[in-house]
Amino acid sequence: MVSTVADRAFAPARSLLEEVGDMMILTGKTMVSALRPPYPYGSEFVGQFLFALRLCWLPLLISTVAVSYGAPGLQAANFLILFGALDRLGGFFVLAIIREFAPFVCAIIVAGVAGTAITADLGARKIREELDALQVLGVDPVKNLVVPRFLALMLVTGLFDIFAIIFGITGGLIATLVNGAPLGPFWATFFTNASTTDLWGSLLKCTMFGAITAIVCCYKGMTASGGAEGVGKAVNQAVVITFLGVFAFNYVFTQTLLATHPEITVIR
Amino acid sequence: MAGWFALPREWISSFGEIAKFSGKILGQVYSLRVLHFFGETLRQCGVLILGSTLVIWGLVFIVGLQCGIEGAYFTRAQGAPAYAGVFAAWCDLREIVPYGFGYMMSAKVGTGIVAELGSMRISDEIDALEVMGIDSVLFLCATRLLASWLVLPFMYMAAVGAGFFASYLAVVQQIGEVSSGGFSLIFWMFQNPPDLLYSVIKGMVMATAIVLVGCYYGYHAGGGPVGVGTATAKSMVMNIVLVHLIGMLGTQVFWGANPRAPIGG
Repeated sequence: MVSTVADRAFAPARSLLEEVGDMMILTGKTMVSALRPPYPYGSEFVGQFLFALRLCWLPLLISTVAVSYGAPGLQAANFLILFGALDRLGGFFVLAIIREFAPFVCAIIVAGVAGTAITADLGARKIREELDALQVLGVDPVKNLVVPRFLALMLVTGLFDIFAIIFGITGGLIATLVNGAPLGPFWATFFTNASTTDLWGSLLKCTMFGAITAIVCCYKGMTASGGAEGVGKAVNQAVVITFLGVFAFNYVFTQTLLATHPEITVIR
Repeated sequence: MAGWFALPREWISSFGEIAKFSGKILGQVYSLRVLHFFGETLRQCGVLILGSTLVIWGLVFIVGLQCGIEGAYFTRAQGAPAYAGVFAAWCDLREIVPYGFGYMMSAKVGTGIVAELGSMRISDEIDALEVMGIDSVLFLCATRLLASWLVLPFMYMAAVGAGFFASYLAVVQQIGEVSSGGFSLIFWMFQNPPDLLYSVIKGMVMATAIVLVGCYYGYHAGGGPVGVGTATAKSMVMNIVLVHLIGMLGTQVFWGANPRAPIGG
């Protein structure tokens, strides 16, 4: 009786821990096989990179403009207007866009668009036993399928961060114009407050988000099972785990960056 | 060049279909025909509560922590660490909690609905329902929408609580530059019940859109196991974009012209 209750309570926790461990192992394997020759994944890498680029650019554009116009743009502008200091909006956008919104909107879009597509693709291959067939042919699925996706998503998420920052700032410019203020002070406070530390922190964070997304989505796709419902369920679980992982990592990373680089929090 | 515009083209071509389908579901809920299957509605409520609440609260908790530390560091830089509550109150209630809720809703509930309905469609269960004389849209989609309307306002308010608690932890316990009382004073001063109501409306509009999109993609899935996976991925794209657009529109409508801050005259 006691043992069945304990099993019921601990079985989900145990399977979760097992999954996290498996993902760690997959990460290690991916890194090792990415570095060890031969390198047969060149064309697949380019294909995946272009695939993610093609799918993500429009959702990311719409989302970053919408988020930055609404959340930091309108709310902060409303607050600053009360003090007659709308010119400080540019300085606030360094914190809001470069440090926070651009990386995480980027991660959400890449996970929701490219990550789900990767899980659906790999899951379908797993269900049709194509992955087993590859292994029988002597082709390593990690090296030929996971490594190119891992590298491509890392690179594409990192580069999309710049794209997201540009369009995030566009949202801030719209918010400034809506309030009838000139753009000069916005740019002035933006550039005096921006620092290279902020930028590399943002890029590094975003690249790591891409890595998390790729590993979780590949793992979930390659372990899909149970027919039609299995693939859908795999996609479902993949995005849930990716979002939780991305935001948890975001918290740890931002806290570490802010605590170890106090100069970026100084208002100039 | 064709691939670059595949997504917007597909949105435009499916937009009318989705609107028509959503209108049908909304009509069935508002005309109360959905009450024929009230038992199924309650079962869906149970599925939502048991399956999704904890994950949604978890994500909102994490983003609440994030709001807390950013607010604490930002107000410290301004030389006013005692006012971290302003940042936390606005950031949590008005923006981040709705977004976090929308993200997790689309990830957990939206794609869950697509996977479930899609596999029913693939295994011909929906056709079987029709053959038995049951209106499948009413039975499968309208019940899910009503269930989400019954459960989610309460879940959302509890999620707001989780976000507030996380911000409190981050600002007062972790960074610790403002006393607990000082934080609470400013924090509660800068929000009032209408703000909460607006935030709930924002969250519920997102939730409705997510459930409707999920129902559309799941109900119209096709093409074997691969089709279900693709439909799930497609619904996620649309949901994420909708969440961001609704978030922006909500901010513009509710707080765009009136900051609702206890400052000045």
